[in-house]
Amino acid sequence: MKIDLDVEVLADNNTAASYNRDLFEKNKTLVINLMSSPGAGKTTLLEKTVARLGKEYRIGVIEGDLATEKDADRIRAFGAQAVQINTNGGCHLDARMVAKVLPEFDFDDIDLLFIENVGNLVCPSGYDLGQNHKVAILSVPEGNDKIPKYPVMFRRTEMVVLNKIDLLPYLDFDVKMAMEDLLGINPQSRLIQVSSRTGEGLDEWLSWIKQAYKQNVER
Amino acid sequence: MHEMALMGDILQLIEKDARSRNMEKIEKVELIVGDLSNALPDALEMAFTIFRARGLALLSEQSELVIKKEAARAKCTVCGFEYNPDARLSICPKCSLPSGILTAGETFKVQSYEGS
Repeated sequence: MKIDLDVEVLADNNTAASYNRDLFEKNKTLVINLMSSPGAGKTTLLEKTVARLGKEYRIGVIEGDLATEKDADRIRAFGAQAVQINTNGGCHLDARMVAKVLPEFDFDDIDLLFIENVGNLVCPSGYDLGQNHKVAILSVPEGNDKIPKYPVMFRRTEMVVLNKIDLLPYLDFDVKMAMEDLLGINPQSRLIQVSSRTGEGLDEWLSWIKQAYKQNVER
Repeated sequence: MHEMALMGDILQLIEKDARSRNMEKIEKVELIVGDLSNALPDALEMAFTIFRARGLALLSEQSELVIKKEAARAKCTVCGFEYNPDARLSICPKCSLPSGILTAGETFKVQSYEGS
C-alpha cells in the first residue's frame, strides 16, 4: 500500500522549535542563534558581549559543542547563566536538544539568551531552534570565499558579523567582495565588522542587540 | 554531514505512520531533496543502506529508497524573469537587481512510502 505522507523531514524539529518559541515569547526573552565555523570566535564574541551588556541585561547562554564543558565555563566566568549541550559527535543543535535544557534556566531572570551552535557552516543552518534571530559569524582568516561556498547558511541568517578585523592588514580578505557576495545571496542580510580582541566595531553589534531586544519587548 | 541523523528522522516518521496502520514492512521510501536543502542525496543513500542492513524501522533487504531531486529556480520580483540561479542567486540575470527569490530548490520532504 502506498501512503502519500507529504511531510517535511524536519517536521518534528519544527514542532519542538514552536514549543521553544512560545516559551521565549511568553517570557519576552530575546533569543539569538549564533552560527559559524569552528574558531571564528563565537565564544570570544559572547564573552565580550556578556561583559559589556551584563549590567544592563540578564543574560543566558546555551553552549553547543561536540564535547567538553569548556565554553560554558568561559561564559560563566563573565557572570552569565550558561548551560552546555554536548552533542557527542553530532554536528548541530536541534530544537529538541535546546528544549531539553530550557528547564535549567530561570526565565523570569533572563532578558537575552544566546545559543552558540556547534561550529559548522553546513548542518546548523537547517534547524530552527525557536530563536528570534539567526546570526552568522565569519572571521577574517577564513577568507571571503566562505559566503559563496556556504550559500545556505548565509541565505538563512539575517546578519554576518565579520570578526577579527584587526587582522585585515595582514591577510587577503576582500571585504568589498564579501559584501557583494552577501548582497547576491541574501539582499536582506547585512555585514558588520568587529574585532572581539580590540573591541573595534563592538558598539554596532551591541546596539543591534539592544534594538532587537526593545523591538521584541514592545511587540 | 548529518545525513545519518536526517535519515533517522525520516525513518522514524515513516515507521510511526506505518505502525499506526498495522504495517509490518516498509518496501519503498520516496523523498524530494532540493539542491539547496543542504542534504546530500548520496549521503542519504548511504545512511539508508546502513539502516537497512541493521533491519531498523521495518526495513528489509528489499526496501528501496527513491530520491527525486528538485533543482533550484528563482524569480525576479521586479521584472518577473524566471531563471536557474547561480552562486549569487538573488541577482536577476535580466535586470541585474538583487531582487530574485527562490521558487524551488529548498524542499526536503518525505513524499510517500510503500508498506504492507
